Amino acid sequence: MTASLRALPAVFSLGLQRQLAYRWNYFLRASFSALPLLVSWVFWGAVFQGRDLVGNYTFAGILTYYAVMLVVEAVSQPSDDDFQIATEIREGMLNPILLRPLPYGLYRAALFAAGRCAYLVAAAIPVSLALVLLSRATDLEIGSLNLVHGLPALLGSALLQFSLTLCLSLCAFWLLEVSALIFLVYALEFLAGGHVFPLDLLPAPVFAVVRLLPFAYEYWFPTAALCGHLNDAAWKAGLCLQYGWAFFFMVLAHFIWNAGLRRYTAAGG
Amino acid sequence: MKLLRLWLLQIRYAATRELMFRASFFVWVAVELAWFVLQLAFIGVIYHHVDQVAGWNRNQMIILVATNQLVIQIFTAFLMPGLSKLPELVRTGKLDFVLLKPAPPAFLVSTSHLEIGPLANGAIATMVLAGAVHGLGLHPSALELLAYLGLILAGLLVHYAVLMGLVSLTFWIIQAESVLLGYYTIFHVARIPREAAAGWFRIVFTFAIPLLLVANVPASTLIRGLQPAATLLFLLSSLLVAAFSTLFFLFGLRRYQSASS
Repeated sequence: MTASLRALPAVFSLGLQRQLAYRWNYFLRASFSALPLLVSWVFWGAVFQGRDLVGNYTFAGILTYYAVMLVVEAVSQPSDDDFQIATEIREGMLNPILLRPLPYGLYRAALFAAGRCAYLVAAAIPVSLALVLLSRATDLEIGSLNLVHGLPALLGSALLQFSLTLCLSLCAFWLLEVSALIFLVYALEFLAGGHVFPLDLLPAPVFAVVRLLPFAYEYWFPTAALCGHLNDAAWKAGLCLQYGWAFFFMVLAHFIWNAGLRRYTAAGG
Repeated sequence: MKLLRLWLLQIRYAATRELMFRASFFVWVAVELAWFVLQLAFIGVIYHHVDQVAGWNRNQMIILVATNQLVIQIFTAFLMPGLSKLPELVRTGKLDFVLLKPAPPAFLVSTSHLEIGPLANGAIATMVLAGAVHGLGLHPSALELLAYLGLILAGLLVHYAVLMGLVSLTFWIIQAESVLLGYYTIFHVARIPREAAAGWFRIVFTFAIPLLLVANVPASTLIRGLQPAATLLFLLSSLLVAAFSTLFFLFGLRRYQSASS
């Protein structure tokens, strides 16, 4: 186990080098990620025309939500880890990894962390620029950010997204093509995860159901926690559910991996 | 005429290839449908709180979003699969096989693949559109319907222009798969009512990259009748951006160096 842990910095460094090999591709990806914020500014500006509140949100409040979500995305959203894992399985590239004394989950976690660090660096300029421009157009409620509530939720979101990604991509042991499954879950994450709109804008009974699902803890919960929209009780309950779902998907990924390895065959060098 | 015949041949070949993976067809229909439901759910949530956005009521907004979906699905069926493969063709040097053929490379690249699934979703979008038109009690004339179809074609040209422009960056950037993400992201603009936009945003996305016109002008034609000035502006600007991005592709092509031996 100690040997495995000692190898992690090397894997992390390898991941960083791999990500930064295509810097422009990465920079473009990060730049495009800021564009929805601009669209939200225009669209919600029209929604708020002639009114101060929509649900519990002011115009500045809803824009702050989308702006903070950009940061949540940058920290916790896997980039193409799912497709990389599926390719490794489909093309028999697991062989050299299986020979190493390093659990596959830990290996992928180190690569995921490297990917997030590289992305944060690439996204720093475009995201900061978007935030500065937006804060000149409207008063973002950045001052009321709650880091004590937000940081554990942000970490939980990264764990949850990583473990869910692992579960989905490990289905490549059984399915030739997992991209449809991945895109289907993306759609669910966007809708039920609070990516398109804050979930508390949903009618109350729907919101009560949606907040029990794991997707709500990928984007909505960390964003709401950072924005300071959650009281202590709601934050603690949310954190329990978030880490509970993350633990559940990690255990599930472990079982899928073991079952998948029994089916796995690879030939050639 | 020769290009049309060639395109029909490419479609036949691509359809045969596509029908080899029938299960994939149903799965992708479900995926695209989920993304459309997501947009309709967003409208549902917004209109749960407000009656109108920039002068558009719920059914009008559904017409706008369904029109946008229709354009996207037709584009995804016929042109996008080929265009999105350009970065890989350039990186692997397989573009050689395209360049050797006696037809314009931009045409061959964009029509080389076909996806049948999006056509089913286009049909679903048409049904949702018809429901919203019926809900508003609209009875568009034959001329308005004809104009609507013509404007959908203009919308396809704008999609072609944006994606062609983005994937052509692959001649400068080794791995340009992120430009696809850019394409998906930039088309969020097309779902906004034009009246919601103002200032530089409206100018840029009306005249430079006419994304604000892609769904707005055809949807307005159904809702408010034919608008000659907006229609003419859209037709002209779509032709211009398509021509410009094809030139950009040809300019990039000059940098292409075959990877084969």
